[in-house]
Amino acid sequence: MRFKASIQNITTFTKLTASLNSLGPLAWVKLSDEQVCFTIIPEQGTQVWAVLSIDTIFETYTVQSAANNVINLEVPLTSLNRALKSALNATSAQIRLTKKDNLPLLALTIATTSSSNSYAAFPTTGANNEDGLNTLDASFGGGSRETIVTQEVPVRVLGPDTVAGLHEPQCREPDVHIILPPLMQLKSISDRFTKLALLGARSGTTASRTRLEVAANMHGCLRMSIKTDAMSISSVWTDLNNPELDPGQVAGGDIGIAEHPSTRMKQLGSADGRSEEGWATVRIDGRDWGKVMSVGRLGGRVIACFCHEHALILYVYLPNDNGDDESVLTRLAWRFFHLPISSYYDLHTNF
Amino acid sequence: MEDDDELPILTVVSSSARQLYLLLRCVNFSEKAHVQISDEGLKFSVDEASVMEGSAFLDKSLFTSYTYRSPPPQRSQHADSDEEDSEITTNPTFQISLPSLLETLQIFGLTDPNNSKPPWARDNLTSTAFSNNVLGMNNMCRISYSSFGAPLAVVLTEATIRTTCNLTTYEPAFADEIPFDRQSLAFKTIMRGTWLFDAISELGSTNPERLTLVARVARGKPYFALSASGPLGSARVEFNNNHNHNPVHSSRAAAPTAPSGTEPTDPPAPTNLLETFQLSTPDTPLRSSYKFALIQKAARAMSVATKVSIRADTQGVLSLQFMIEVESGKVSFVDFRFVPLVEDESETGEDGERMETILGDGEEGSGSGGGTEDEGEGEEM
Repeated sequence: MRFKASIQNITTFTKLTASLNSLGPLAWVKLSDEQVCFTIIPEQGTQVWAVLSIDTIFETYTVQSAANNVINLEVPLTSLNRALKSALNATSAQIRLTKKDNLPLLALTIATTSSSNSYAAFPTTGANNEDGLNTLDASFGGGSRETIVTQEVPVRVLGPDTVAGLHEPQCREPDVHIILPPLMQLKSISDRFTKLALLGARSGTTASRTRLEVAANMHGCLRMSIKTDAMSISSVWTDLNNPELDPGQVAGGDIGIAEHPSTRMKQLGSADGRSEEGWATVRIDGRDWGKVMSVGRLGGRVIACFCHEHALILYVYLPNDNGDDESVLTRLAWRFFHLPISSYYDLHTNF
Repeated sequence: MEDDDELPILTVVSSSARQLYLLLRCVNFSEKAHVQISDEGLKFSVDEASVMEGSAFLDKSLFTSYTYRSPPPQRSQHADSDEEDSEITTNPTFQISLPSLLETLQIFGLTDPNNSKPPWARDNLTSTAFSNNVLGMNNMCRISYSSFGAPLAVVLTEATIRTTCNLTTYEPAFADEIPFDRQSLAFKTIMRGTWLFDAISELGSTNPERLTLVARVARGKPYFALSASGPLGSARVEFNNNHNHNPVHSSRAAAPTAPSGTEPTDPPAPTNLLETFQLSTPDTPLRSSYKFALIQKAARAMSVATKVSIRADTQGVLSLQFMIEVESGKVSFVDFRFVPLVEDESETGEDGERMETILGDGEEGSGSGGGTEDEGEGEEM
């Protein structure tokens, strides 16, 4: 069993682990020849099934195992995230699976170039282009000193039969799909909603109810609302975007689209969000939602798929560094499943 | 119901939810607030165990539009109740959850993460010269009350987000205000709100139980002091119109700001500490005590008020009226009333005499000389 890779995009990897960590302490990481999967299945709340193409975070990637070159690990996210943070200023970082005292661990080897001489010579280092400085150091030869730090993250290797029972939840075709407004904005408002609900619970006699109701329609509207004894409040976003379905991706092609639930939902409701019709609604625990919203730090595009009274699936796409907007959508499909009802239907939709 | 088709009783629009928030926050010390709608504006009053009440008056001039249709008596059959006309013709009064309203009003407060970024770094490049936030139009707030028993609806709009909050309205619980007799005032003074705030926060550091207000005329000069006493000792803040512009903190041996900032060459400067000072009986000093914790609840108002009028009537009821400037030129008022504590007989007579000394009664210009503690009363901790 071998796994070795150099980390290509440390910042993204760090933000990713930090976001995952807010939803659960342990991740199931599945390494295979084609992709890296991060999965979080908390006791209750939102599941994350993140699939990354290898080059999103790694390069020179090798994975070998007796089971079809697939390695399944249980990784404590807090430790991994802490280790990655120390690599933020690294010139290079490598990760590999190894053993110490017969215990498996992920060893993170971080190389940092501390160039003490050059700092004295160029006091304005901070404002300069670091790459430029590094090449300069290299040309001076002895000007820089490389420091190597190794961080060890203890992990557990999961056998194929352990994870055999874990499957991505399947849902029926969503009624509404919509691009969410910036998550940080959503979060700040939903946090206030949660606070309001708790205020209401304190003054009222009923137990605390932080059940946010989130709804969207096919006319670019998103609605978030909460009810307490003392009040009911709702915020409506308008002018959002409902992405078009790609006939090549939907089962049944054009006919499939014509029969798609979202096509039917398009007939209902209005763009100003005042109509009571055409909303697909789900109820979510306020605190759980707040945690999910913390992926906002990745700054990606988020498409929410609403299965009315059933499930909410968020697809998070990482922003692309080179600004190529089309490839963005294929970079990372990160799915948050929120399933209040434990029955699954088929989901074939891709955007 | 037939009333549903009628025009709403109240519809107001404010261009700034923040203004309303700043004023209402001053009286946010209780779960429920009474709202009274009238031709002049909206009055939010809050009551604490009937010994303290606070009210914020949102004058209709604060709103860009204020439409109030006084419910006509003949429509009183609403809500299945056969109440007499006399009661219905009064202005609508109901209770709402004040913390909920405040939380709603600031729902967009500084939430936009885009604000901290330059325009080119923002997520949505929709900003133009006519964008709402450029025009200062964000935080538009509309409040309406359609009919008796209906919720108080607050609608806030920012860019493409619209938040609607329906606050449940409850039956009013108290009808009587704490009686304050404006006709028989025992004492009145006006000063800057922040000075009172500084004094109360300073006194609050000892966690005292009671606050005693002392006012008298000493050698023809006004004298006003707040003293707090509790298990840890007592402290006193004195204000006078002698020479210095700053309150003298008697409990701090050298009031840090008093002597340096001002030259004592011009004693009757117009920047007197106490703008007005009226004592109905100049011969006898006025003393009355209040629960400190209650006075402290007005601290938020003190900190934002430009001026405060401190009045006590002959019954000892204290009225603090704060003038708050919400935007240049527009002022609003927030009122507090406090029922006095019953004076302890033994304490009154003797202590009244002790009050005489601390400021040195004006022979000294700086007033900082008053810092010497003679009664051992001033230990702060």
